[in-house]
Amino acid sequence: MKAFSALVHREFIEHRGAFLIAPLVLVGVVFALTLLAFGVDRLDTRMTGQLSFVVPTWVFEAGYAGLASGWLAYLGFVLFFYCADGFAADKRNNAMLFWKSMPVSDFKVLLSKITAALTILPGAVFGVALVSLLILFGVTYVTTLMAGLGSPELLGSIVVIFGQMSLVFLVVLACGLLWFLPYMALVGAMGSVVGRWAIPLALLLPTVLSALEWVTLGGRHPFATRTWDYLTYRSSLPLSADHLDRVFEGQEPFNAMLFVTDFLQKFDWLQVGIGAVFAVAVLYLASEYRRRAPAN
Amino acid sequence: MTDLSVSAGPIVSARGLSKSFGRKQILHNLDFDIPAGRIYGLIGHNGAGKTTTLNAMLGLTSYEGTIRVLGEDPFARRAQLMENVAFISDVASLPRFLRVRELFALLTNIHPNFSQEKARQFLEGTDIRPEMKIRTLSKGMIAQLHLAVVMAIDAKLLVLDEPTLGLDITYRKRFYRRLLEDYMTEERTLVITTHQVDEIEFMLSDIMFIRDGSLILHMQMETVSEKFTQLVANEPETQAQARALNPVYEETRFGQTVFIFDGVARETLAPLGRLSTPTISDLFVALMQRPTANPERAR
Repeated sequence: MKAFSALVHREFIEHRGAFLIAPLVLVGVVFALTLLAFGVDRLDTRMTGQLSFVVPTWVFEAGYAGLASGWLAYLGFVLFFYCADGFAADKRNNAMLFWKSMPVSDFKVLLSKITAALTILPGAVFGVALVSLLILFGVTYVTTLMAGLGSPELLGSIVVIFGQMSLVFLVVLACGLLWFLPYMALVGAMGSVVGRWAIPLALLLPTVLSALEWVTLGGRHPFATRTWDYLTYRSSLPLSADHLDRVFEGQEPFNAMLFVTDFLQKFDWLQVGIGAVFAVAVLYLASEYRRRAPAN
Repeated sequence: MTDLSVSAGPIVSARGLSKSFGRKQILHNLDFDIPAGRIYGLIGHNGAGKTTTLNAMLGLTSYEGTIRVLGEDPFARRAQLMENVAFISDVASLPRFLRVRELFALLTNIHPNFSQEKARQFLEGTDIRPEMKIRTLSKGMIAQLHLAVVMAIDAKLLVLDEPTLGLDITYRKRFYRRLLEDYMTEERTLVITTHQVDEIEFMLSDIMFIRDGSLILHMQMETVSEKFTQLVANEPETQAQARALNPVYEETRFGQTVFIFDGVARETLAPLGRLSTPTISDLFVALMQRPTANPERAR
């Protein structure tokens, strides 16, 4: 277990640029720009003008949701490239022989990579995202104060909003990672075999599979097959929006526990289980390839 | 930790070891044993099969026949075997994104027989500092670091495949001196390949010459000096007499004719000129040119 944790830590050290340093730099730049905008009296006038027409708490909820969505998109992007590139990094860096001289199996190495993609790497982005959201809330609250709308009640409300939205963010992130695990494992396995060519192959493979079904079993066209329907279903997070719909229609206030409970109850756990088995299987096959492939 | 205890048996034992890449056969039925506590030099031309042999020993490639390292099948149990086997197959293979201290910290957790304290001791007196990134180190410093890493692993078998490739003579000499003084013990076995044969000759206890995937010589260094003799003969008459004794090699250097004999008594050769034991590089050049030098089987 100690060796496995060290291998996961190694992944973090190797890829912290994309998962920690770049997000921190991004947050720093945006924060600096915000301060600069305030400094030249550009930002506060526009925001106070908008804030005077809306319910203050909605600004925080919508702002959190928008920024968190942005971070999820960023995470999806870097995880895709991590899987396509990071799984072949040992060979590309000419370090394969060194890691092969360690008493760890190829399967364990690949498992450590996918574990890093599920834990420490998205965890780092999540941490930076929370910092950026805190800054967003701080800046917005200062702006409301300057507009004369700030109050202890509002401050209490936004603390509750931050807690509730962070819980939602964490649950959606964790479930999203589990949902897309088979895709990550497949791209990683292909990356172990063909290196960076996994990037175009990952995009081509669904089309090839669907076309194969169309050619062999028939159908209206290559994108009207059961394979394509399944992949389409598996490509988007099955998000239960019942509670959110009622919130947007003004029927009830946003409640994180209600959302999370509803979301977890309706989540397709069977598919998560099937995906996990698939992920272990493709990683095992990739590890066997890695074991047999020339290391030098 | 797996206990791969070494009894009286050999550290490495190969029988009928063969390897093919496609239709091309790289190794041809190699039979050899490597006992404990020896320093083996595996010597051959580029493409002779040295690295493939070592890769088979290290579980880095599949093969036909059987090979056992510390009693284990290396291809099936590489991970377990690496607890007791250390190797350098490429001086540039250290992960370049790490700092030296990060490398040591990771290895402390990954390798049960790695001692961070020893590794730091081995780096004393060098210019390598814990905070340095490996990518900023020179090639010589990376070789020093890699050697410190493998020497800090309490292994029973150390395999070095061209460990000093591309290093200057100062680094090479320091590398081998360090290895011999600080690492080698009677319990440890070293297998080394290099093209700079003369530089490691002083430390070898045994040599194996490999040519086109076949072992053409496998013997102890003491036996080499008993079995092979180099003769320098200057007179045409003595040269003719020497040729009559079937030398395995003949070469004219700076007006002197040098012969190398296999199994001819020194008393017979003494009247013909100056006698000496051929260096490994001379012997290598001599034996690589004839069909078979030594039909000796595995000991």
